[in-house]
Amino acid sequence: MSEYSCLIVEDSPMMRQLLVFALARVKNLRVTEADDGVDGLRKLASSRYDIIVTDINMPIMDGLKLVKRVRSDPVHKDTPIVIITTEGSQEDRQRALQLGANAYITKPIQAPQVIATVKELLRIE
Amino acid sequence: MAEEKKTNESNSPAADLKSERDRFVKTFTRGARLTDEFIQDYERLLDKLAVLEAENANLRAQVAADRAVRELVQKIELLEAEKSDLLSRTNRAEAISHQFTTRVQEVESEFSNLANLYVASNQLHSSLSPRGVTRRIKEVLAQLLGAERYSMYLANQQGTELVPIASEGVPGGDLLPVPIAGTRLGAVLASGQAAVEEDGDPSHGQLDRPAAVIPLLVDERVVGVIAIFSTLSQKTRFDAVDFELFRLLGQQAAAALVSASLFAQADRRLPGLEAFLDLSV
Repeated sequence: MSEYSCLIVEDSPMMRQLLVFALARVKNLRVTEADDGVDGLRKLASSRYDIIVTDINMPIMDGLKLVKRVRSDPVHKDTPIVIITTEGSQEDRQRALQLGANAYITKPIQAPQVIATVKELLRIE
Repeated sequence: MAEEKKTNESNSPAADLKSERDRFVKTFTRGARLTDEFIQDYERLLDKLAVLEAENANLRAQVAADRAVRELVQKIELLEAEKSDLLSRTNRAEAISHQFTTRVQEVESEFSNLANLYVASNQLHSSLSPRGVTRRIKEVLAQLLGAERYSMYLANQQGTELVPIASEGVPGGDLLPVPIAGTRLGAVLASGQAAVEEDGDPSHGQLDRPAAVIPLLVDERVVGVIAIFSTLSQKTRFDAVDFELFRLLGQQAAAALVSASLFAQADRRLPGLEAFLDLSV
């Protein structure tokens, strides 16, 4: 059975912990944590990931800049990206999707929604 | 006379032979005719037999066909019964599968709720600095409850006012001490019971009509309140887990804050071993 790897980029330790708990429910998914966009890019440079879950509002480098950088990286340009944000407006969603995000989840997050989104993007039954 | 007859007889052998021959011919002709008749009868009978055999064959075929039809009908009835049995089994299996799926969803939802509560509790107690605890309380409010505008108040020593100690999304001018007497926040402090607008949309809450007010307890005493004035636009109702989070915040937030303050006041020194020696129960 294939093993998948996921990179969570989130500055809030609480949200990271919650996402790790949620994604632990996905079989054969290995989760790595990064606490901002720069840390995320560093981890992306050293390993290959099957999916990225990132917050938008983060210090140093926000989630949208991270999406732009990932989409210009030849290794991860096609890696699915899930955006997690407090912004719930349609314009924010459009902007994130136009930049190259594949899915958009608003806070407060529901673990079943995160699990379903990640499974769908990884095409896991 | 007898001699004359004998003489006549012996005198005309040819006539006797002729007569004998005629009789024979007559007999033979009759025999031949009878034979012909027999042959004709035989042929008729043969034809009749052929017709009867053909009829018999037809009848046999018809009987066989009727039997085949009867067998087919029986087979169809059996198949119909099997189909009905299979359909009923499929329906039962689908119902069980549906129940199972619903149960899995319920378990997943319960797991998600428990994870939220665990993470909130874990985060509240993962700092021993008042600032760190306050930041975590704000995170629980914003990230787990979806609060957009909120404020945390503690009662002053005189018990007359609730003083704001932390807030988010509230203009500075609105962050004023709130009298305990005659206010909604004061009523929650006095009763120790949370006040939640369950019917309305919490994202439309106002500063003068908060979506939720949660009492903060320390050692079973109400020492302050958290007022959630409004939630994020996508958070349009409070769910069961939100009420559990309200309870958790009420029971643990102020206690964590007090512990952190006492620890800070003690210059972050851990109490000596003697403080724990007479705790045996």
